[in-house]
Amino acid sequence: MTPADQDSNRADVGSGTPPVIAPGHTFGSVTDKISAIVLTRKTPIGWWFGFLIAFALMNVMMVAITYLFVKGTGIWGINIPVGWGFAIVNFVWWIGIGHAGTLISAILLLLKQTWRTSINRFAEAMTLFAVACAGIFPIIHTGRPWLAYWLFPYPNTMGVWPQFRSPLVWDVFAVSTYATVSLLFWYVGLIPDLATLRDRSQSPIGRVVYGMLAMGWRGSARHWHRYETAYLLLAGLATPLVVSVHTVVSFDFAVAIVPGWHTTIFPPYFVAGAIYSGFAMVLTLAIPIRAIYGLEDFITLRHLENMAKVMLVTGLIVAYGYTIEAFIAWYGGNKYEGFMMWNRMTGPYAPVYWLLICCNIVIPQALWSRRVRTNTKALFVIAIIVNIGMWLERFIIVVTSLHRDFLPSSWGMYNPTIWDWATFVGTIGLFLTLLFLFLRFLPMISIAEMRAILPEAKVDEDLRVI
Amino acid sequence: MRISSTLYGLMAEFDDANALVAATRRAHDEGYRRMDAYSPFPIEELHEALGSHHSRLPLIVLIGGLCGCVGGYALQYWAAAIAYPLNVGGRPFNSWPAFIPVTFECTILVAALSAVLGMLALNGLPMPHHPVFNVPRFALASRNRFFLCIEVKDRKFDLESTRRFLETLEPREVSTVAD
Amino acid sequence: MTSLRQTADQLIPELAPRQRQLLMAGGVGLAVSLVGLFFNPAQFLQSYLMAYMFVLGIALGCLALGMVHQLSGGAWGVVIRRPIGAAARTLPLLTLLFLPIALGMRHLYVWTDASLVAHDEVLQHKHVYLNVPFFLIRAAIYFAVWNALSYFLNAWSLEQDETGDPRIARRMQRLSAGGLLAYGLTITFASFDWLMSLEPHWFSTIYGVLILGGQGLSALAFLIAVLVWLSRRPPLDDIIAPEHFHDLGNLMLAFVMLWAYFAFSQYLIIWSGNLPEEIAWYLHRLQTGWRFVGLSLVLFHFVAPFCLLLSRAVKRQAQMIVKVALAVLIVRLIDLFWLIAPEFHTAGVWVSWLDVVLPLSLTAIWLGYFVWQLRGRAILPMHDPQFDEALGRILERAGERP
Repeated sequence: MTPADQDSNRADVGSGTPPVIAPGHTFGSVTDKISAIVLTRKTPIGWWFGFLIAFALMNVMMVAITYLFVKGTGIWGINIPVGWGFAIVNFVWWIGIGHAGTLISAILLLLKQTWRTSINRFAEAMTLFAVACAGIFPIIHTGRPWLAYWLFPYPNTMGVWPQFRSPLVWDVFAVSTYATVSLLFWYVGLIPDLATLRDRSQSPIGRVVYGMLAMGWRGSARHWHRYETAYLLLAGLATPLVVSVHTVVSFDFAVAIVPGWHTTIFPPYFVAGAIYSGFAMVLTLAIPIRAIYGLEDFITLRHLENMAKVMLVTGLIVAYGYTIEAFIAWYGGNKYEGFMMWNRMTGPYAPVYWLLICCNIVIPQALWSRRVRTNTKALFVIAIIVNIGMWLERFIIVVTSLHRDFLPSSWGMYNPTIWDWATFVGTIGLFLTLLFLFLRFLPMISIAEMRAILPEAKVDEDLRVI
Repeated sequence: MRISSTLYGLMAEFDDANALVAATRRAHDEGYRRMDAYSPFPIEELHEALGSHHSRLPLIVLIGGLCGCVGGYALQYWAAAIAYPLNVGGRPFNSWPAFIPVTFECTILVAALSAVLGMLALNGLPMPHHPVFNVPRFALASRNRFFLCIEVKDRKFDLESTRRFLETLEPREVSTVAD
Repeated sequence: MTSLRQTADQLIPELAPRQRQLLMAGGVGLAVSLVGLFFNPAQFLQSYLMAYMFVLGIALGCLALGMVHQLSGGAWGVVIRRPIGAAARTLPLLTLLFLPIALGMRHLYVWTDASLVAHDEVLQHKHVYLNVPFFLIRAAIYFAVWNALSYFLNAWSLEQDETGDPRIARRMQRLSAGGLLAYGLTITFASFDWLMSLEPHWFSTIYGVLILGGQGLSALAFLIAVLVWLSRRPPLDDIIAPEHFHDLGNLMLAFVMLWAYFAFSQYLIIWSGNLPEEIAWYLHRLQTGWRFVGLSLVLFHFVAPFCLLLSRAVKRQAQMIVKVALAVLIVRLIDLFWLIAPEFHTAGVWVSWLDVVLPLSLTAIWLGYFVWQLRGRAILPMHDPQFDEALGRILERAGERP
């Protein structure tokens, strides 16, 4: 049902820092503008264009994985000594990208940063899709993916149990918990908006589907109270969880004794890197989406600038990690560690290493300038560069640490094959396909939370007297 | 008209959050208890105005978390030290440092599930149908309108006097809610 | 109604006698411990290093938190900005107090012993870094950076108080951004130099972050204790609200978790790797009586404060949170004891009387200096850009709008 009446209330936002929502919006206009993208507005031609490309890429992944199932992991470039190739690089890259979503939705909520409101929904969706892409890789890397359920502890006739001293088993728990909790968090956040869509949908199918998903939400004050409590508790749980996930991923490396992997700085430095790449991905997606859907009122320059600042900080932490790692590789006096670091910087993969330093450390220093932080084109380019840089970082960690084994007789090189690339590019297709579907069928900005940050949502303190 | 079987309550519609909070406080002062307020976004003051108490949800989540923590460790201890003891590089069967990550993940998983399922259960959701949806304009409760509904079951409820009371709150309109 | 523009000295007359008492007590304690220096200089220096790192941690942690607040904003920092500034202004004193360590290096750091280095391949390799002149040059750089940051931030803060010029806030932000970077690097290498090199064969890349997190925790606990003390007397008694303690309590909880995270990550990685050059550090701690000190850290540096700080009631009541804060300060000292003492007493737990007297006297002297610094300025930063957001409403209610 579309109400004919117009709202007379006007939102006035004070001057000073750029607002998190453009002035002039009301409860009604916010609701209409965001829900119209899903419900009434015609699907933009750009959506079809992007979706078809993404869908085609996803099919590349399908082909690559099918061929993998037929032939085995021999179709990849992995070998002895480089037993972990693209699959693990991509796994770490994707799971890291997911971290920004949880950070935005949980940590910034706890820190009472209201600017998160217009980007959290879509960042959370990004988390889910990134985790979905990440989850594929370790499973197909096992060689016999149809037996992946062996990773879970369950009573079986073989009488064996997973090896709980192995970080790979921790990973199974960390990633599956992360996927579950992210899904719960996202869904709980969606419930009030699904109710809005249910009430505003014109089509019977829409009404039924959104109605079922909304579970009969009616906005009761008692419900809201428990809902908010649950949401805050979930945020409190998701915050240590997100740190733990990339920590466990870093343990996959650090708990082993391979030079280049076994170093104690890995947990915090992996977490910072994950947030770094995640924010880069949020910017990569947010900048075009706000332009295409005309959402500049909701995703303002303030959001972009804040995200750029987070990138600058986490990028510097990552740089700190590189520095300390290199220093201790020398200071420790272990000749294998020393050689590993020297080989990274001057060996056969040195160009990749220096490219990564350029992408992750040198170029992002431009973000110190406010002019760059508020220039969407420059930000978009830097975000893409950081995405690439963080992928290269994982490549360097995985490949250069392995390819020079302790004995020179077992040294080797890693050359990715067409199937490695096809799987990687294919998961980008999967990610984008899911993202396009999300943009089309669900509100990409939390409508209920946007209403709550409008100035007119403030209840006066002394209103006993009417 | 036999109101008790066909009527759920009376519903007043308001334009903004302030009016709804003020109306709810007035209704509470008036002695109404079986009522609920509906808004398109959470309003902290409404909950207090309705005279509701603290939620039990944090306790449920705490218990859930503790169960996950103990259960997670117990699972690993049982698997690694009792059911399938395996010497891995001379590490003890009960390798507690290595069991912390999974214990932590289990704690968070069960606590998060308790938070969501607990919230839904306490709210009585999913509940696909509810009498308030019988009011056509209630669809605006998820957009920009604010509603106060006093139920027939309230001891003070009387179709005439309650309607008169609601009219004094200067609502946009007052409608009957069919059961 | 008192004007908040007056200095803390005028508003809180109690500060001056407190300062005298603290300085006297500290002086007496230090004089007594000089006996220890005479009989057992090595033990004196070990205890002194621990005591020194404890107070240095509070001061540097405050400096860093102040810079974080400049960048992040937030109501939590406004009420503690003056104690933060006063703590940062103790850095000249702390620079002076470093002298005993510089002079007594050979009692603390085995790598200063040339005959030992001559027979040790690894120490020869490290000699480029671990040698006396370079050690002293590095220390001079660290202190130069810290003192410069403290000096400029405090001078500008004073200027901001007097003129209220909004441009100063931006200038302070810019310095804080670079300053945090400089702090992160200097404290990392300082912790490598002063603590990690006590066992020169051992190394851990997370060590700097672990020390950094510990300093943040010390500073927060200290600031909470100071704020509680201030909130019990005019003029802050009707300005500090439970919300302030709640926010700071949450921050302290975050730092407790962060410290546990760093410490556990280091332990798990080294325990799993089980490499001879790394595990040695834990072996002579966990296979002797020192393991009980380690266990007490698990319980009182993490489990107990974590559980207490989860409670909303604890965080909002001044008399509760101050107890937690003081307990955290004590375990911070135990943590430093755990990092330092086992290097010298490998057989088992050994507590010298100097391990008690020196931290107490050094803390007393430092606190006296801190109180002196606190006295000189207004107790609230009236021109902080966040001031109205944080305190405007409370002050309006109390009728103290300046």
